[in-house]
Amino acid sequence: MKNRSIFVVVAIIVSLAGSVALYAQDDATKKETPPWLEGINMPPHPENLSPVMPLKIFMENGEAIPATLTEDIPITLVADTAIFDAEPPAQYNGSDIPNAKWSRNAAVSWFFIDWEKNKNVPASSTQQLALNQMVVTPINPTGKGAITCHIGRKMRYTDPVTGKTRGTFANASVGHDARVLDITPPTCGLEILVEGGRSGTFWVAENPPNKYPLPKLADVYFSGALINEADPGAILAVQGLELGAGMVVPPEKAAVKVPAGSVLKIKVNGEDNYKLDNTKLKYGICSNASGEPVPVSAINATEIALAELELPENPHFYVDASDVSGNRQVLYVPLKIK
Amino acid sequence: MKFWNRFWFVVAVMFVCASVWPGYAQDTTATEEEAPALPESVDMSLGVVNSEYVMPEGFRGKDAEEGDLQWLEDVGYLMAENSDLYNVDANAIAESAQFEGPPNINWEVKKEDESGNLNTESSEDTNVASNPCNITDPGYYQVHNGGARQVSSAGGAEGDAVGGTDEEAGGSATATTGAEGEEGGEASGAASTVTAQQRVGIEVHDCTSPDVWIAFQEGAGNINMAESEEALKAQMVGKIIENMGQPFSTDSKDFEDASYIFIEEGKDEERNSIPWEKTARLSIAGTLFNERGAPKYESGKLNSKIDQKEYTNHVSVIGGEDKSIKGVYVRRNVPFIIAAVSTDNGNKRASAGEVEVRIVDANDKEVERDGDAYLFRVPNYPRAEYKDQPDYYFTTSAADKDGNLTTIRMPLYIVNTQAAFEGGRNQ
Repeated sequence: MKNRSIFVVVAIIVSLAGSVALYAQDDATKKETPPWLEGINMPPHPENLSPVMPLKIFMENGEAIPATLTEDIPITLVADTAIFDAEPPAQYNGSDIPNAKWSRNAAVSWFFIDWEKNKNVPASSTQQLALNQMVVTPINPTGKGAITCHIGRKMRYTDPVTGKTRGTFANASVGHDARVLDITPPTCGLEILVEGGRSGTFWVAENPPNKYPLPKLADVYFSGALINEADPGAILAVQGLELGAGMVVPPEKAAVKVPAGSVLKIKVNGEDNYKLDNTKLKYGICSNASGEPVPVSAINATEIALAELELPENPHFYVDASDVSGNRQVLYVPLKIK
Repeated sequence: MKFWNRFWFVVAVMFVCASVWPGYAQDTTATEEEAPALPESVDMSLGVVNSEYVMPEGFRGKDAEEGDLQWLEDVGYLMAENSDLYNVDANAIAESAQFEGPPNINWEVKKEDESGNLNTESSEDTNVASNPCNITDPGYYQVHNGGARQVSSAGGAEGDAVGGTDEEAGGSATATTGAEGEEGGEASGAASTVTAQQRVGIEVHDCTSPDVWIAFQEGAGNINMAESEEALKAQMVGKIIENMGQPFSTDSKDFEDASYIFIEEGKDEERNSIPWEKTARLSIAGTLFNERGAPKYESGKLNSKIDQKEYTNHVSVIGGEDKSIKGVYVRRNVPFIIAAVSTDNGNKRASAGEVEVRIVDANDKEVERDGDAYLFRVPNYPRAEYKDQPDYYFTTSAADKDGNLTTIRMPLYIVNTQAAFEGGRNQ
């Protein structure tokens, strides 16, 4: 009997606590202000009539926009909405809009949103296009993105309540979800340091950026005392290499010159315009400068003692990198032993 | 006692069940019921946060029924917006819908050109629902807020991707976009981008006085003054546009052929001040601004006077014995021409127009040209020596369409050539 009473009391306390917790959660949710609405004291809906109209966007040829796009490849899109009609809607949400007239041209904005970064890029075109058209070129790969189109047009109508003319905007907007495939190989380089603080660095930059059609091109930049002993701060550029699996720097243009018997400290600079596949990243010294690298040093060694290697006649540094989409870069840079 | 124990036991069990049930009920209905369709877009409110510098409807004669905001150039205003898309939860978008992450919020300013096209002036991806907006050139604008947010309907992406998307940037490359693999259409439970937008029309009023350049060029020998004047004007129009109203040179050597007065909004850091703190810069360059004919380049800041009702500005330059510019000194018996051009920030100083320049006496009676040029045969300077000779002034005035004004009135002194100038310039 006593036990049952205790159980009853405990049950009541538990249930009360549960209820309080649930209500508290609800209240917290209601009161919480997200950071983007800090200081905003405005209702979420317009005070006066402002019609939201349907909008469709599609490819120039009338087909649906693909769900997968490719970086740097432009697509021409078309927007279709009654905002481009000769007259504004005469009704909205079942109510009449008396004497509705457009009073300005339509304004159109297109964006590509990268949802992974929550950043957008406005689309713009130097081509002369119709108002409802836009060339969209996704320049950054993403697994989660969207093309959005926003159209608005000023209109006037007679307010049925006051009988006065009023200006407002008709709006239309829509989003199309799409991911963007990466077609740009990584742009990795190395930093080499020898005893005495002398170093040599080379890195890769896509140039021109966002080039299409393929192949992508890149410049390889060199700097440091191991490149140019007389002027270690100078930057030497080897231009116009095809960015990909066969990037060979000719020895007459640039080389990393290290003293015989040095111990080299090597650091890789992994770069990609989207996501580098770190599991496939390889670098070191190799015996060849074409095809697959043939390593003569331990792969990805951060320290290499030249005296412990059987160096071939024309050794090269190499960086073999791939991104998660499978784009591959293999860069060969001549190594000269002084 | 036994009865009451049983009674309380039953009540407690019912209460516990009643407390816990709604939570479970919510979850089960969310997963079992068919996901409601998501809208493609929702509406949005957009406006300016209260400011005493928002002008009343009908300001400067604008159509009050159009519903546009009346702003002054160079005054910053705070814009704010709201939409169901920015809520904490997505219930207002669709029943049981969930937001996948924070919204993407873009602020855009478009300006209407002469053909009525609205061209983008600025576009900012801020991801915040308020934005300071300072428009520095007059004209008709639209401020646009475009919002978008990933929303999933029930049964799909629930719980996968809620929260900050920034953290995901370095993660897996696997696309989680619901629409992937489909072309158009929305899959139940998939994440879709829902949009919202709103615009506000804004008349931005000009509060800046026009820039004015005045050139004085003396002629000699057989020079065709009419041709010289046309060439001078054409050259001035080209240079005032190219230099956005600012002096084309600060080197006095560049002003040997003609002397210039430049009145303009000022150096880059002086431009676009708020309307009631506007200044202008007066620069003089050449040989005609002192009685000795010494070449000079001088520049200084002038205050501008604002009309407290219309917020128009007036820059006034008055020369005289007690002023920083005493006057313009020309030689007797040497023909000279005056040309003036003006440009305005109303069209971003993209064009320039000719401005009338007059030479008048103290009674405001205009002095006529002698053929193609002005020519004075009798000196009136020094004034103490030629008291019987009339005072002369040159005047010019440039106004923009909103009524901002730049005026100049300056004494014109006719110098005895033999006394002051011989064989050309300064002696």
